[in-house]
Amino acid sequence: MDKTLNYAYYPGCSLHASAGEYDLSTRELFNLLGVGLTEVPDWFCCGATPAHNVDELLSLSLCAKNLELAEQVDGDVAVACAACFSRLKFTQHTLLEDETKRRQVEKAIDAPARLDGKVKHLLEILARDIGLERLASAVSKPLSGVKVACYYGCLLTRPPDVPNLDCVEAPTIMERVVEAAGAETVPWSHRMECCGANFTLSRPGVVIQLSNAILDSAKSSGADCVVVACPLCHGNLDMRQKEIEGVYNAEYGLPVFYITQLLAVACGAGAEKSGLGALMVDPFPLLKVKNIL
Amino acid sequence: MSRIGVFVCHCGENISRTVDVERVAAEVGKLPGVALATDYKYMCSDPGQGLLKKAIAEQRLSHVVVAACSPRMHERTFRKAVESAGINPFLCEMANIREHCSWVHDNREEATEKAIEIVGMMVERVKRNRALPAITVPVTKRSLIIGGGIAGIQAALDIADAGHEVVLVEREPSIGGHMAQLSETFPTLDCSQCIMTPRMVDVANHPRITLHSYSEVEHVEGYIGNFQVTIRKKARSVDEKKCTGCGVCIEKCPIRKIPNKFDCNLGMRPAIYIPFPQAVPNTPVIDRESCAMFKSGKCGLCKKVCGPGAVDYEQEDRLIVEPVGAIVVATGFDLYDITEKPKGSQIKGYGEFGHGRIPDVIDGMTFERLASASGPTGGRILRPSDGREPKQIVFIQCVGSRAREKGISYCSKVCCMYTAKQTMLYHHKVHDGQAYVFFMDARTPGKSYDEFWRRSIEEEEAVYIRGMVSRLYQKGDKIVVMGSDIAVGVQVEIEADMVVLATAVQPRSGADILAQKLGISYDKYHFYSEAHAKLRPVECATAGIYLAGACQGPKDIPDTVSQASAAAAKVMTLFAREKLEREPIVARVREAGCVGCFYCRKVCAYGAIEEKEIRDRQGNLIKVVAYVNPGVCGGCGTCQATCPSKSVELDGYTDEQIVAMIEAL
Ligand SMILES: Cc1cc2nc3c(=O)[nH]c(=O)nc-3n(C[C@H](O)[C@H](O)[C@H](O)COP(=O)(O)OP(=O)(O)OC[C@H]3O[C@@H](n4cnc5c(N)ncnc54)[C@H](O)[C@@H]3O)c2cc1C
Ligand code: SF4
Ligand code: SF4
Repeated sequence: MDKTLNYAYYPGCSLHASAGEYDLSTRELFNLLGVGLTEVPDWFCCGATPAHNVDELLSLSLCAKNLELAEQVDGDVAVACAACFSRLKFTQHTLLEDETKRRQVEKAIDAPARLDGKVKHLLEILARDIGLERLASAVSKPLSGVKVACYYGCLLTRPPDVPNLDCVEAPTIMERVVEAAGAETVPWSHRMECCGANFTLSRPGVVIQLSNAILDSAKSSGADCVVVACPLCHGNLDMRQKEIEGVYNAEYGLPVFYITQLLAVACGAGAEKSGLGALMVDPFPLLKVKNIL
Repeated sequence: MSRIGVFVCHCGENISRTVDVERVAAEVGKLPGVALATDYKYMCSDPGQGLLKKAIAEQRLSHVVVAACSPRMHERTFRKAVESAGINPFLCEMANIREHCSWVHDNREEATEKAIEIVGMMVERVKRNRALPAITVPVTKRSLIIGGGIAGIQAALDIADAGHEVVLVEREPSIGGHMAQLSETFPTLDCSQCIMTPRMVDVANHPRITLHSYSEVEHVEGYIGNFQVTIRKKARSVDEKKCTGCGVCIEKCPIRKIPNKFDCNLGMRPAIYIPFPQAVPNTPVIDRESCAMFKSGKCGLCKKVCGPGAVDYEQEDRLIVEPVGAIVVATGFDLYDITEKPKGSQIKGYGEFGHGRIPDVIDGMTFERLASASGPTGGRILRPSDGREPKQIVFIQCVGSRAREKGISYCSKVCCMYTAKQTMLYHHKVHDGQAYVFFMDARTPGKSYDEFWRRSIEEEEAVYIRGMVSRLYQKGDKIVVMGSDIAVGVQVEIEADMVVLATAVQPRSGADILAQKLGISYDKYHFYSEAHAKLRPVECATAGIYLAGACQGPKDIPDTVSQASAAAAKVMTLFAREKLEREPIVARVREAGCVGCFYCRKVCAYGAIEEKEIRDRQGNLIKVVAYVNPGVCGGCGTCQATCPSKSVELDGYTDEQIVAMIEAL
């Protein structure tokens, strides 16, 4: 076990519910890479989209409190969900810029706000902290021949100045990580478009239209599968794929992996520990054809 | 014993409303050395100045204090007035009781007390002023112009036509700048080359213009009227004097596939080349990075075929020094290259437009080359990817400009107009094509400009969509433009064959480095700063340096030419005098006290401190002391604050004067 690398893991609610496979594969991947991942004790919901739409102070305070809780664990905060990542980063950014809000939040959480502690998305931990070389050397089942469409969605890099994950409109970080696992990535047009996100419940029609454009673009670029780093994107592209195919009379059949699932498989975790069984679009045919499983 | 006259001004009511001016005069009148203290409604007016002059004569005044507004406003006025009455102008000082007192206080009692103290201080100071002789410096009546775009060309021709010598330095192998690249120009649609090339030829043929092309300013020393400029003439590998411009070398060069920067990389050129057929000078240059001779030592064809033996592979960079009296900076602009990692951390880039990845997404200058009759397509609008004529073309304005969140908040000023122009050129050339323009606003303030813009819509059928574009992507051989139409409130998607981006106008790369060599200031984007936005728009704060064209801010050709002529007029004003008078408020060294540590030289921002040898009568060196060159000294006083032996002092601001002023409080 690498004593120097340890993270305060903030899974977020989705990973304990509909995105259980993201959680499972993240833990397994870090285990295989020998990097410590300690769940933040007593963490709770960051407020996600509803909180900041209803009450900004509530949203900021929920995140600030979670960041404070994370201080109990050694190491930077590791976040898997793109929405949690965005909210936590936004909170730090806002409180750094706005003295008044910072004071209000500190009163609400009854503690100093943690503004300088590093909040990192799994992608940057993989690409920068662990590093592509170390990642590549841990790969035992290279994903050779798999053509991957890396899908960023709206939140991972945006808005400018907040997440600072990579270039805002033309990032490459996910491609680099996927390529380190031996896969091939395709250039495609809809890497950064919105999938409709949480309109999936209130306005499914919108989601179906937007997600269709994404799947259509991925398919026509020659990809075999899509990789995501966000539970909402996953829900829309994977869970709704069949429905979308029905509406648009199309046939995509694109498995949608969480980034950690694909990497865990490449590092030899096997199907079960990578949570592949939870995917709606069956990934096994692809992985079998490519001789990976 | 001094006989000081104090004149307290009411400034209409600006001062007298808050300050009891009569009391000020009465109190100050009691100070030792004050012979007369009086007040008047407008001291700066003609009767006010008359009063001053009369008092000087009648009361035999030796020094004058005018208690009024800021010296920035009227110091010159009053110093001139006392000079005409026979007193050295530096024996007149102003006490600022307006900005420093009446305007910022409302308690009349307290403001009056303060005014008395301010005037009292200046009385103590002026008592200790020295009569300063005017400093004159000779003027070298030659000027340097940096940058040979239309701005530099215009300034050079104006100054040379007025009878003065001009040294024109151009970084590229040819003069012409961007205007040489343009197709037709708004608002009259005349061909850019046709109006530009005759002027380029005039420059080449002018007996008083020395052109250093393919050259850069290396180093600048000196001050207004007396600059020494070191110029690096880069090795061209062709002797300019021997070359006849026959072009045989260019024909024979075997390396032919180098993208031509002048054609925005659309066309190719050989390793020995002139950037475009009308180049001035018409002397080729060898691009040593691509030349086979320089890369592998195998070739030498151009040297073999050159009749006059002009090709010279051994040529080296040369440094030459040119003495000049004035400098015009005309280095122009670059277009914001959104394909590269943008320069400057505040500039965020435009990955969403795929410029550089999608071949048929081009910038405005590339469109100019396509539309130019002498361009790589002979003036036909063709897609770089497959050479087909685009039937649907989308223009996007304000790419990079006016986007605070992306790092540039200013308007690039020329793109609204050139986009309108480009839609017209497109319509003239592709009759069955359709042009769309995404825009935020149409900014057309200029003579005949709005009419021109309207014409692009009403007669040339361009469809203007008010809104911005969020993304461009390739779909098959089309480019999908995803944008919004905010007038209707809908999202729009257009499948285009070609997209033209009106990318922001930025200062030339390296503009900051040149500014540091020249000692002139620039803004956060690196546009050069004028001395005063309204009243001194073509002068730099550094005396003797002037600005012309887009290096000072985005500008179209009419504005550029006007500013260049204005800069030329400023240079000619300077050259109208044989000698220059400058303010004699400079530092002086007390040689007896100076220990020669030269700390002052380290801190002097103007480079005014020189070494002076002190010798005895036999000529033996006793010591080396500091000497302030009065022509260079900026009068900032930094040396005075630094000198550990208190041996350098600024006239008018000596320690003695400052102590006396403090004691007067
Ligand atoms: C796409 C496009 C279309 C346009 N169309 C029109 C139009 O139709 N009508 C119109 O009125 N205006 C038009 N303009 C604006 C026009 O191009 C400018 O007004 C004009 O070129 C400005 O001239 P300039 O001499 O200031 O700068 P430039 O043309 O940029 O010239 C600057 C010169 O200085 C040289 N230089 C730079 N740095 C140095 C250095 N350190 N040392 C020595 N030399 C140096 C450069 O090589 C260059 O030759 C257009 C602009 C664009 C971008
Ligand atoms: S270098 Fe020689 S061959 Fe080339 S243009 Fe000049 S004279 Fe002609
Ligand atoms: S000139 Fe027009 S297009 Fe260019 S930045 Fe200004 S408003 Fe935008």
